[in-house]
Amino acid sequence: MDKLLEMSGITKSFYGVRVLKGVDLDLDTGEVHVLLGENGAGKSTLIKILCGAYRADEGSMRIAGQPVDLATHDPRSAEDAGVATVYQNFHLVPHLSVAENLSLGRFVHQRGLIRWGEVYDHAREALARVDLAVDPRTPVSRLPVSQKQMLEIAIALSKKARILIMDEPTAALSRRETEALFKTIRDITPKGIGVIYISHKLEEVKQVGDRISVLRDGMKIATLKARDADLGQVISLMIGKDLSGKGSRDAPAAPARPRALEVKGLKNRSFAAPVDLTISEGEILGVTGLVGSGKTELARSLFGIDPAVEGEFRLHGRPVRIDSPRTAVSVGIGYLSEDRDVDGLCLNLGVKENVSLVALSKARGLFFSIPAEKRAASDLITSLGLKVAGLSQQVKYLSGGNKQKVVFGKWLSARCRLLILDEPTMGIDVGARGDIYGLIRRFVASEGRAVVFISSDVEEILEVSDRILVMARREVVAELDPARSSKQEILQHASRLSRAMDTV
Amino acid sequence: MNELQQTRVGAWPRAALELRGLFRNQAVSMLLILILLWAVLGFLSPYFFTVDNLFEITLQTAVIAIIGAGMTFVILSGGIDLSVGSVFASSAVVGGLVFTHTHSLGLALFTTAGTGALYGLANGLLITALRVPPFIGTLGMMGIARGFALIFVNGVPIYGLERYKFIGQGKLFQVIPVPTVIVLVVFVLGYLALTYTRFGRFTYVIGSNIEAARLSGIPVQRVQVGIYMTCGLLTGIASTIEAGRLATIQPAGGNGYELLAIGAVIIGGASTFGGEGSVVATLIGAIIVTTIRNGLNILGVNAFWQYVVNGLVIIGAVAADQFRRRR
Repeated sequence: MDKLLEMSGITKSFYGVRVLKGVDLDLDTGEVHVLLGENGAGKSTLIKILCGAYRADEGSMRIAGQPVDLATHDPRSAEDAGVATVYQNFHLVPHLSVAENLSLGRFVHQRGLIRWGEVYDHAREALARVDLAVDPRTPVSRLPVSQKQMLEIAIALSKKARILIMDEPTAALSRRETEALFKTIRDITPKGIGVIYISHKLEEVKQVGDRISVLRDGMKIATLKARDADLGQVISLMIGKDLSGKGSRDAPAAPARPRALEVKGLKNRSFAAPVDLTISEGEILGVTGLVGSGKTELARSLFGIDPAVEGEFRLHGRPVRIDSPRTAVSVGIGYLSEDRDVDGLCLNLGVKENVSLVALSKARGLFFSIPAEKRAASDLITSLGLKVAGLSQQVKYLSGGNKQKVVFGKWLSARCRLLILDEPTMGIDVGARGDIYGLIRRFVASEGRAVVFISSDVEEILEVSDRILVMARREVVAELDPARSSKQEILQHASRLSRAMDTV
Repeated sequence: MNELQQTRVGAWPRAALELRGLFRNQAVSMLLILILLWAVLGFLSPYFFTVDNLFEITLQTAVIAIIGAGMTFVILSGGIDLSVGSVFASSAVVGGLVFTHTHSLGLALFTTAGTGALYGLANGLLITALRVPPFIGTLGMMGIARGFALIFVNGVPIYGLERYKFIGQGKLFQVIPVPTVIVLVVFVLGYLALTYTRFGRFTYVIGSNIEAARLSGIPVQRVQVGIYMTCGLLTGIASTIEAGRLATIQPAGGNGYELLAIGAVIIGGASTFGGEGSVVATLIGAIIVTTIRNGLNILGVNAFWQYVVNGLVIIGAVAADQFRRRR
């Protein structure tokens, strides 16, 4: 019998950079094939070629034995061939009912009038296929995340999909919901369906997968049977030879330093368990974890965007209550958000106006001094090594690295003492990354300052941090010393399903 | 690598400078359009360049320009205020009633401006505390303020405001019309506020990126309330000038002024998305709007067509702005 999917020799370059170098992948009917790899390994590019979003440069593909012309393959022909994706960020229409979402674009109608009876029959049938017990009239916005996902699967199946792609489907699910999803996957695969499953959570890979393929640097490194796979071995395959990973950095800052921030029993909706943490003055505390692990939520809670419902905060020994970004700013906390264009910068204002923002918001009085503002801005431009045309150059014309330096400058000029950095090097090229690390080190080197450094890039976390917190499932699961831990160890902590599964 | 960065750095300033030049040109080009407009109207009608008519244009401009100055703050912050026409009538009526009861001009003027500011406060609270979008909140206020203007006087205009005349028709040192003086004061203060005060800077910042403003610790809601209050206050002040010109207060007055004021701001070159614009540009915009109105009048065009032309000019200005952005 023909394979459900055969991709061979798939090659793809972007702007001269080869991101896929002749990758082979196949999928049997009834199989769950897991794709593993680090960020940038080429998983999502491969998947996008399969669903027609990208065009492969070279290679061939067959679906159920039928050759697919890769030169003309597009999302439409992918759908016709039975390829469907279950998205992480759901593309359902929230105000419409379950039944309407199931029939979107394909309503059964007669002379322009929708035949609701048939629409609901169709919905019930589709829901039964994934064993989802909800009323088809329920608006989708009222469904919990897990049921939305089931609904997406139902929609895919009702479009006669045979190849289902699931990209991090459990990122937002609880343990019980994850079990339910796995059950559904086991139920549907025998009905002529194959699943390509992408996940970072190694534990669940063994639970749900039949075979595992590991990608690294655009190449397929290995395909193995999930049953026989050893997770330690899989991780080594993912990250390559350098398994020791021991940092060559000096020992972390002496523990005798005064505390910059002490948080006890921080609780709010974002966390599965109360969070405790301490940061010493002069310290860079690295926080890492997978998508949905609660890293960003931690930053948002510390900065007062999603204030703590309960918990004790001490800043430089003094108790504080941080209930809004404004109070956070006033006590000297700064926050570089994950997406600087969305909530960090005023893109159509100048460099000067952007770097003086926080200082002005902390200032008092009606007027401010423009000469002083100019002086502060040009000092910052020099000390940050900003490459700009002038003080008033609109920020939107700067490169990613320079933009990030502007955001940095905004907090420096306000003399903030605790900086929370959320993915500060995302979208920044390698050269500028070094600059940002340098700025962070210089920042903590001055009196009484500290940094919370959040990143999903484990190598960067190991390189920059003095101490590392690993988050998973919206709680802190490990505290590590970068000098004595490895990438492998961090990944194991980050990908475990629960505290109970400590052994790897 | 280094070389690559160098060339990139070299390329940015040029692009930025060109763009900045373009923005400067926008204000300049509006001034050119204004002069062209005057030339054409002067050619079409010998009456246009008479002292009487120019005086008339100055007076007509005053009202729209002052409301427009307030509207500039609102639009810079990324908002809109549709209620100014009704607030204009409502605050004039309240002030007029105070005048007929107390005969104190000072108190009347103060009440007029204060009522405008109170309407602005209400708008601001609707938008910040109740989170009603500015378009809807001020649309509702447009109805409410108009209703109160009519209710307070039972729909009957207030006549015999002879002592108001100084504000609308008086001249300082027998030369400079008082409305012109008020316009100058308002615009100088507006310019200073936008350039040199934290309030003014925050107005730009909120319009440019409200999330960034919030995360920088700026008291966004307080500033927004202040912005709508400024707009209401200036609308109240503008209404005293019109009351002075006519020596009458019409509860139905100010109809369609929101269109003219928004038009003045947009034609001046402010971005409808907020964060870009200035009061100087608005002043030019206001003179253009009034000149068009005046020109249509003296050319004998049916008054009803003025609405059509005003609407077209605003749409044209925004479309031109969008076109400029796309490039």
